[in-house]
Amino acid sequence: MTRHTLFAAASFLLMAGSSLAAPSTVLDLVEPIADYKIYVSEKLDKLVEDTEAFTAAVKAGDVEKAKSLFAPTRLSYEAIEPIAELFSDLDASIDSRADDYEKQEQDPAFPGFHRIEYGLWEKGSTKDLDPVADQLLADVKALRERITDLALPPEKVVGGAAVLMEEVAATKISGEEDRYSHTDLWDFKGNFDGADKIFQLVRPLVEKQDPAFVQKVAGNFATIETTLAKYKEGDGYKSYDKLTDDDRNVLSAAVNTLAEDLSTLRGKLGLD
Amino acid sequence: MTPAPSSSSAPPQKLMRLALGGAVFLTILSGGLFYAATVQYGAQPTADVVKVEVGDKTCNPNHLSVPAGRQTFEIFNASSRPIEWEILQGVMVVEERENIAPGFRQTLTATLAPGEYRMTCGLLSNPPGNMVVTPTAASDASGDAVPSLKAFIAPLSEYKVYVTLQASAFERKAAALAEAVASGDLNKARDAYQATRLPYKQIEAIGGRFADLQSRLDVAALYLEKHEQDPAFTGFHRIEYGLYEQNSLDGLQDVARHLSEDAAALKQRLREAKLSPDYLASSASLLARRIADGRVDTGEDLYAHSDLVDFAANLVGMQKMAALLAPAMTGDALPAAQQLQARIEALSALLDSFKTGDAYPDYTSIKADERAKIKSAFNDLANAFEAAGDALGRVAA
Ligand SMILES: [Cu+2]
Repeated sequence: MTRHTLFAAASFLLMAGSSLAAPSTVLDLVEPIADYKIYVSEKLDKLVEDTEAFTAAVKAGDVEKAKSLFAPTRLSYEAIEPIAELFSDLDASIDSRADDYEKQEQDPAFPGFHRIEYGLWEKGSTKDLDPVADQLLADVKALRERITDLALPPEKVVGGAAVLMEEVAATKISGEEDRYSHTDLWDFKGNFDGADKIFQLVRPLVEKQDPAFVQKVAGNFATIETTLAKYKEGDGYKSYDKLTDDDRNVLSAAVNTLAEDLSTLRGKLGLD
Repeated sequence: MTPAPSSSSAPPQKLMRLALGGAVFLTILSGGLFYAATVQYGAQPTADVVKVEVGDKTCNPNHLSVPAGRQTFEIFNASSRPIEWEILQGVMVVEERENIAPGFRQTLTATLAPGEYRMTCGLLSNPPGNMVVTPTAASDASGDAVPSLKAFIAPLSEYKVYVTLQASAFERKAAALAEAVASGDLNKARDAYQATRLPYKQIEAIGGRFADLQSRLDVAALYLEKHEQDPAFTGFHRIEYGLYEQNSLDGLQDVARHLSEDAAALKQRLREAKLSPDYLASSASLLARRIADGRVDTGEDLYAHSDLVDFAANLVGMQKMAALLAPAMTGDALPAAQQLQARIEALSALLDSFKTGDAYPDYTSIKADERAKIKSAFNDLANAFEAAGDALGRVAA
């Protein structure tokens, strides 16, 4: 036996002797959470890149171009909204609505995407938007930095899918989010994809224990996907005005059920 | 108005059961609507419901002090607009209720650890209220317990992300090294070699534990029967031998290609590896010990003499591991975490002391007494990781 093979054999024994596989199921969440972090990082890279182009158009005074970039830029932000609870300050700065401010749209503190949306669609102008655009870009960059350094708490990730579905059911379904541009269906796409991603990542961990639950949740995500697909136009989606009452009811029912079902996911995964 | 999202700590069935148990009160609202708020009881006999009224400008009271543990809040929206009410810790939302209409009240149950919190009070421009959660006998007692395994999901995931990114970098750089070797440019190949080594050394604690791959990627001639002439002499050091000893790229093309393939295999292996807290600590301990017992004396990079660069990269990877595990090492595991931090700082300062500017000197210039210091610092680090592994093994058990 050469020294080489002896060495290899010795280290192999060391490896085999240690607990490569953890005994507990709770640590099975390590891989899904790691994969989710990578998903979020990719979305944030895209968000920063897209926001650079979007805010450049705003600052160049190009209203039409800025309008065309608004919804696609937001898509990656909306996809990571399940974990928005981890950065409430930046979420407020990037994505709050006029209602959060005393003087609503007239309030000088009204920031972010929706302040720009208001300017572009309601005023048809980029007047006064330069500082808002600068701040928005700074905020998405700060967000990327911060998330890079943050270990994502699993209960917030898993719980976040349900929290976001609750928010869609409670408020977004009314079309309040993009009230000036009516690009809400783009946001929905981001929100549902982002929540579905979390579900898909942990799905193998609940599949055996509760196949009926998994089927039901997957079914509701599929219903939403099919319904949204009817409104596809070009690379994106039609105006929220075009959503029929029937389809809104279908979406509403599916998202309410999803909110309720997904709220049990933390418990099923031993995170409560 | 949409129904309040059910609190994760109080599933609907449980609420229903409690409601049937009798602890229900109805509030008749001006609009003639009924809203049922549940008062939790039984599980937390002492906890009273904490009432908070949110006005147009502020919360009332605007300063709260509550005991640690499960706590139920009743929020009344006395303002003229719909509000959301949140408990914040730093910038993180701990619990929230969305869309509470004016004149309505909602309850929220949260389990809070001792510390300082804030609560949002309507408009974003309204100053947040303060909430101090005070320790109780129960919360003090739970602080002494071994840390829970759950607390390690986040750090382990983060370490997995780190390993995945480094493994990808290793794969990319190894492919670039193979290209540089094939291009016949010796200097370019030397640069590419050093760039490839860095990510590998950073994840060596974990990556080096796949013995079959390790013996191809990073085998030292010292351990081979015929040393440099042994047919099993391959991987990094075979390339290093060509680049720095023979000053030639002869015969390196296949070796570099295999290194690149093994780098891809390592990435795949690491993707599938299951990580546990004690596995991380024991892997780091093993590597630190291996360095202290062998490499410091003999040197590992016998042709490039870049050992200090390797040590520093090894340390970066172990530092990452320790920094991620530390916050979850509470209670009994705390002293081990502190000791580990101290050992890392000591070794880091020692390695830094050899630097000129950003560069490390040739390892042949490091004298025996200096090597003895490095050896002892790696030994201390190995011991600290071992102690951490013991503490973490109790968690995993
Ligand atoms: Cu949003």
